[in-house]
Amino acid sequence: MKFSHLLMGAAVGAMLAFSAADAYAGKSDDTLNWATTREIAVIDPYYNNTRELVVMGHMGWDGLVYRDIDTGEFKPLLAKSWNWANDTALDLELRDDVKFHDGSSFDADDVVYTLNHVSNKDNGVLTYRNVSWIKNAEKMGDHKVRINLAKPFPPALAYLANAVFIMPSGHYDSAPTKADGKKDWGVVKPVGTGPYMVGEVKAGSHVVMEKNPNYMANSPKGAPQIGTMRFRTISEMNTQLAELLTGGLDWIWDVPKDQAERMNDNPAVTIENAKTFRISYLAFDVDGDSGTDVFTKKKVRQAVAHAINRQAIAENLVGPASEVIHSACHPDQFGCTQDVPQWEYNPEKAKALLAEAGYPDGFEFDIYGYRQREFTEAVIGDLAKVGIKAKLNWLQYRALRDIVRKGETPINHMTWGSYSIPDVSAIVSHFFKHGPDDPAKDGLTREMLDIADNSIDENVRKENYKKAFARISGELYWLPMFTYAKYYAYSKDLDFKATPDEIPRFYTAKWK
Amino acid sequence: MLVFAVKRFGVAVLVALTVSILSFSMMYLSGDPAIALAGEGSSQEDIENVRRVYGFDRPIIVQYGDWLWNALHGNLGHSNYLKSDVASVIFERLPTTMLLGACALGFALVLSIPLGVVAAIRPNSLIDRVALTIAVIGQAMPSFWFALTMILWFSITWRLLPITGTDSWKNFIMPSIALGYYVTPAVMRLTRAGMLEVLSSDYIRTARAKGLRPMTVLFKHALRNAIIPVVSLAAVQFGFMLGGSIVIETIFAINGLGFLAWESILRADLPMMQAIVLVLSVFYIFLTFFADMLNAFLDPRIRVA
Amino acid sequence: MTDTVSTERPAQAQVNAEMMEPSPGTLLRRRIFGHAGFMIGAVVLGTIFLMAILAPVISPHDPYDQVLARKLIPPIWHESAKATWEHPLGTDHLGRDYLSRLFHGAQISLLIGFAAMLISGVIGTTIGVLAGYFGGRVDMVVNFIVTTRLSMPVVLVALAVVSLVGSSLTMVIWVLGLLIWDRFAVVMRSATQQVRNLDFVTSAQAVGCSTPRIIFAEIMPNIANSLIVIATIEMAHAILLEAALSFLGLGVQPPEPSWGLMIAEAKGMMFFDSWLIVIPGTALFALVLAINLLGDGLRDVTAPENRN
Repeated sequence: MKFSHLLMGAAVGAMLAFSAADAYAGKSDDTLNWATTREIAVIDPYYNNTRELVVMGHMGWDGLVYRDIDTGEFKPLLAKSWNWANDTALDLELRDDVKFHDGSSFDADDVVYTLNHVSNKDNGVLTYRNVSWIKNAEKMGDHKVRINLAKPFPPALAYLANAVFIMPSGHYDSAPTKADGKKDWGVVKPVGTGPYMVGEVKAGSHVVMEKNPNYMANSPKGAPQIGTMRFRTISEMNTQLAELLTGGLDWIWDVPKDQAERMNDNPAVTIENAKTFRISYLAFDVDGDSGTDVFTKKKVRQAVAHAINRQAIAENLVGPASEVIHSACHPDQFGCTQDVPQWEYNPEKAKALLAEAGYPDGFEFDIYGYRQREFTEAVIGDLAKVGIKAKLNWLQYRALRDIVRKGETPINHMTWGSYSIPDVSAIVSHFFKHGPDDPAKDGLTREMLDIADNSIDENVRKENYKKAFARISGELYWLPMFTYAKYYAYSKDLDFKATPDEIPRFYTAKWK
Repeated sequence: MLVFAVKRFGVAVLVALTVSILSFSMMYLSGDPAIALAGEGSSQEDIENVRRVYGFDRPIIVQYGDWLWNALHGNLGHSNYLKSDVASVIFERLPTTMLLGACALGFALVLSIPLGVVAAIRPNSLIDRVALTIAVIGQAMPSFWFALTMILWFSITWRLLPITGTDSWKNFIMPSIALGYYVTPAVMRLTRAGMLEVLSSDYIRTARAKGLRPMTVLFKHALRNAIIPVVSLAAVQFGFMLGGSIVIETIFAINGLGFLAWESILRADLPMMQAIVLVLSVFYIFLTFFADMLNAFLDPRIRVA
Repeated sequence: MTDTVSTERPAQAQVNAEMMEPSPGTLLRRRIFGHAGFMIGAVVLGTIFLMAILAPVISPHDPYDQVLARKLIPPIWHESAKATWEHPLGTDHLGRDYLSRLFHGAQISLLIGFAAMLISGVIGTTIGVLAGYFGGRVDMVVNFIVTTRLSMPVVLVALAVVSLVGSSLTMVIWVLGLLIWDRFAVVMRSATQQVRNLDFVTSAQAVGCSTPRIIFAEIMPNIANSLIVIATIEMAHAILLEAALSFLGLGVQPPEPSWGLMIAEAKGMMFFDSWLIVIPGTALFALVLAINLLGDGLRDVTAPENRN
């Protein structure tokens, strides 16, 4: 009795110690509460390559140029104007009226510092492809810089607009050193020029961003409207839905199709299905590194391709904005074409191919996935119908990526969002130029991609990308599946428009 | 009493050491720990570097000694994902989980002890049967279903309680019930059994025969003695709840140790996983140690054992 | 026994005695049929067991056969126009027949519960009986092992191990089996302690019976009823733990239809199509309840004096 009294006393005391005020927000206190399932610890778009940081990157920081999502045209942001001095040198004139969140003025030193830091491979930017095209940056005046390229890189402006954020000079100097002697770059205090300033960060719980009252005038991003943006980690989708329905959250996404459809007539929320740059694909272990050699046989890969009803998955599970794709790129990206070998849904043909390949009774293998389990389950179901038994291994992205890079997966069902860069080099050149994610390491594909990547002639690029896509789909290194469509669900109070590139522009959102 | 305490403490330390060996060996379950620690996209060179820096090339016994030495000095390693010291993250999140555990245990005791007592006073009555039903249902319903059903009713339908967060005491009501409910059957059965035994004992009969008021007999004499085993059960269950709060913390988005454990497991953050298993186990060991001490203090017969 | 006695006593008296006193078998039968909990438990468990065994015969569809265009058809009692007798319990999020999955899921849930209980039972009983029989040092060591095991949080360790070595049906069974033997050990130890000092054990020791013989022939039969009770508790425990692992995505892997997994897959639609979770949830609930009732009933029936 005494012990229970003691415990009860402690519990009651602790409960009373809380402020009784409910921290409920939304329109009434000018706070937009948004949530995803992921825990965010590192607030730096170079050292955290999650989608959340792409979103927060555009809120907290600015790039040199801005890409208009509707027209595709590039507009001035931190740079007032730019011109190509030659194929490998881009000169930019910078704005002189911009201040960082800490009050310091923005000038050429900041650009030079940032670009030289991130383009140095030793500094370990997570998605090095985003900056590897930069050789270095030179100061040409207080507000004038030149970016030198390693070789001609046609989509440079697209990368500058979507993936290169400018940090203040000396930003990473205070990074601590890890036990293995390397710097822990991601832990410095986040400072940028963007429309929102990073406030309180609590990993696993929330990241608060406050409106930047001194945000630059006439930015193409517009002036920020809502006072506070509060990101929350809620790993259970049911809980997210419950919070949205009761006003605890104002905005969520990745709502599964079935739930989204049932909420359509709920008066408190708006449901929107929007395109994304993300595509879904199956990558085969073409070389037999995983210890299973079945997928070294092209007939088996063809059988898999014929066995999967991609149309049914896109229609029934993904959403109306999703479409089936046949080449390893998103149809909205420059250089993408569907004019490649296509594998129609035909289970009978799949069975025949399996028999020809020597597996009349099918076989068993491990399939790996990390995103939207029901999509992978549908693949498994389709394969089961032709006698192939796939065992699901469900992992977190990071863990899966390690295994994929070691070549241990017979088939991995993964996705790629191209960091929302509207150019096929952001996907096909990442995967098929013998990098760690390359499932085939095919010489011919690399040659074609090298030509396409390094040419500034649009037609040469298109033609060679097409050849590469035809080879990838024809040889079935990948089976491209479908484009992702995302269901957004947000409060009726919120004036928000989803964009087709999976980057919610919270800085343009306002209350109705 | 002192000899008993010292003996018992010695056992606790030995158990803690064994647990530390087990959680250390978790490092080797997934194969090469250097690859796991080096993280995504690491080159062979990086892996070798990690192997050298962390000393994975040394004999395992030396590595363990080193790891234990560091752990004893509060250095539980570094989390690659959270970019932070493991110990400081754990101790930042431990209080939330402890509070949740305490509230859950409080709920369980408040519900189950009175039910157990009433059930013992009137065995096979309607109340006894109701209590039994609650106990049986508590054992048979998956906790996440129970928790989500509560959200559906109390938050979405009736708008009575907040769903997530830890800002107000209201936030703790549903998670505490969801977590504590599963403890009630055990506590209730034990209280009932203890009361039945005590009520039929000689000294209660004597007390009744002396004409003491029934309530005085019940609470001052009977319950006091019947509750002793419940104390150690409560301590044990508190330890279980800290480990079992993973599901509940995930559902109610409570940023405690359970959620941290779950996230670390998902992202294969080995140092964090090891440390959480170690911390929870050691906490449990000392919890049971103190429960034993308290028991010995309350019931002198135990001390000689 | 009756044979030897009957030669010494007048036959008539023997018959009279037997007519007046119900035989132990009759007594047991009366207790069993008079025990409502035991009966309910036995009938429900028997039904589920039959469902599992006959699953391939009685399932209307292939439990793995998905038809995406026919997903989320509600069960027949639902007022929706989509409900059809072709799928009496409806279809799941991938258009698989829910009734067939429920039948096949019974196999897997029972298998997990039974196999994990068997593994933990063998481990726990072995060390529990050894500790109880030999006492002293052996008892101390076993006590130590049990305390160590108890101090490690089950769900956390199970999740960590499964995530590190990969999850599959076999792995889930082994991990659970290797983790939940503690109650077996504790109860078997104290049961053995009670029995070992009884007359028939000491006399067996006196006539020089070997230790294995004493343990198997004298002790085991006398602690069997506690063993059965713990076995039922642990079986239910394993089934529920698998459901929790499945909820977190680390239990049995799809498309295998365990009930725990079915509940986990249905949780997304819980606020909208609650029948998806109610059907497997009720099945799991009934199974766990039945096992518990059966266990409690067995204790009451076989050893009524221990009832409290």
